[in-house]
Amino acid sequence: MNSSATEAVSRSLLSVTVRRAWVTGRFFMVYGTAISVLLGVLLAHFSGPSFASSYPLFVPIFGVVGSMGGLTVFTSDRTKGVLEYLIAYGYSPGRLFANVLLTTLVLVSFVVGIGVSVSLGVYFAEGHTATSALVIGMGVYAVPMAFGCAAFASTAGVYWTTLSSPRQGINSPIGLIPFIGILPALATIFAITAITLTGPLSTTTLLLTLGTAIGLVAIVVIVLLASMGRLLRRERLLSPA
Amino acid sequence: MRSATNLTDSSDSAGNGVGIDCRSVTAGYLGSRVLHQISFRITEPSIYVVLGPNGAGKTTLFRTLAGILRPYEGEVYIGGEPIDRQSSRDRLHYLTHMDGLPDGLTVREALEFFARAEGAQPRDVDRVLDQLEIRDLSTKFPSQLSAGQRKRVSIARVFLRERSIYLLDEPTANLDPKVARETRELILKLSREKIVLYSSHNLFEAREIGRYVLVIKSGQIFRFDRIENVRGSRYVLGIRVLQPSPALASYDHEGEYYLRELSGPEEVPAILRELMAQGVQIREAREMENPLEDLFT
Repeated sequence: MNSSATEAVSRSLLSVTVRRAWVTGRFFMVYGTAISVLLGVLLAHFSGPSFASSYPLFVPIFGVVGSMGGLTVFTSDRTKGVLEYLIAYGYSPGRLFANVLLTTLVLVSFVVGIGVSVSLGVYFAEGHTATSALVIGMGVYAVPMAFGCAAFASTAGVYWTTLSSPRQGINSPIGLIPFIGILPALATIFAITAITLTGPLSTTTLLLTLGTAIGLVAIVVIVLLASMGRLLRRERLLSPA
Repeated sequence: MRSATNLTDSSDSAGNGVGIDCRSVTAGYLGSRVLHQISFRITEPSIYVVLGPNGAGKTTLFRTLAGILRPYEGEVYIGGEPIDRQSSRDRLHYLTHMDGLPDGLTVREALEFFARAEGAQPRDVDRVLDQLEIRDLSTKFPSQLSAGQRKRVSIARVFLRERSIYLLDEPTANLDPKVARETRELILKLSREKIVLYSSHNLFEAREIGRYVLVIKSGQIFRFDRIENVRGSRYVLGIRVLQPSPALASYDHEGEYYLRELSGPEEVPAILRELMAQGVQIREAREMENPLEDLFT
């Protein structure tokens, strides 16, 4: 076959996939956003300045949970033959995966955007000011890590989905991936907690820890993406014959 | 065994802008070979019924022709161009054996989704909603539809945009007899100008609509011929009567049917006339064995 002659279909599916992800995964999105807002408001109101060092650590977890709709659509489309249909009309497996990844990132931006903006609004309304810890926590860690963890969860979920038979419930990718996706964020929380138990947490140590966490997630995501061409074979996207 | 070659007019090559040219194709899944050295060429607009037992490779053949599976060996040309070109894909409609309806969209939105994916116009959605008589389903989600309704919506998408080749993998599965008949009529209309490959487990359906039959067994083309040339070794007529009659004494008996083996359907009118002349009150006469069943054994 003359693969060099392959042309790509140009029509984007992003907007409709985001809409479908909202419809099929709205429980995740509402849940992720609600707990993000609730925890943010409670911390901003009751814990005062410590909001700056605690809330950002949880934001990536909310991002992962709230963005599961993208993976829900992918898993459903594979089982129901929609991916097969799209491949037949010229959409490459890589493009279909990119569509899931972009959808996930759009959903994360909604969840994190609403959670962070409401929480910060309450925090500032309570009379607190923007400290360096808050800026570092939100700007350097919370938002980038939320996108990183969601990309990790989405990529791992696509692998899991395509490498396994269709399953329901907790054994399905949708049941397990949120737990896997939040692991980097949980590991960071444990690391920060462990450091604070041994002594005061300096800004340098905080930046180093958060930077290392984000760097590791970025490396894992890049490795997974780089392996996509080899592992995400089109046969794996087809519904059972 | 009769292998498939150029069944249709040899002067009409697949390079003329229409047609399927499958050249020594071996294909399958993750290295496991399902189709073995399949070759055939189709240029004549008609319905080609693809028959075969479960696991024979029908769906794999459709997926390979649709460019979903890449052959390990051999080549597929659509309209004279390799299948991996978008221009080739744009000549094809492929209806999967699954319903293929996207979750989270109503019927209308799903058809708009398909229309967008295929480059059809929004007005085409309204046209197929009326054509397939599914407008009353347009605000429902797939989860609210019966299996037959889902299949109907699924079929509607192949009418969104005109193409020259239609690959329909079990299009009438799960449809009630009325809708199945209407669907076959739509497909029959299509076949006047288009090439339609139509897989089915229903042998009677194959004889009803097919002009050609392509039989696959164990991943190879077992037979490719005009359907009228496909004859089994037996043709058994079954007759149900209102009252038993001595005229049927020489017939075999199976349930309510008296059986007689004939050389072909052309003998049926004479047999029935003879029985009625002898006073037999015939309630029903039917073909008890479909000659195409021989193809599966």
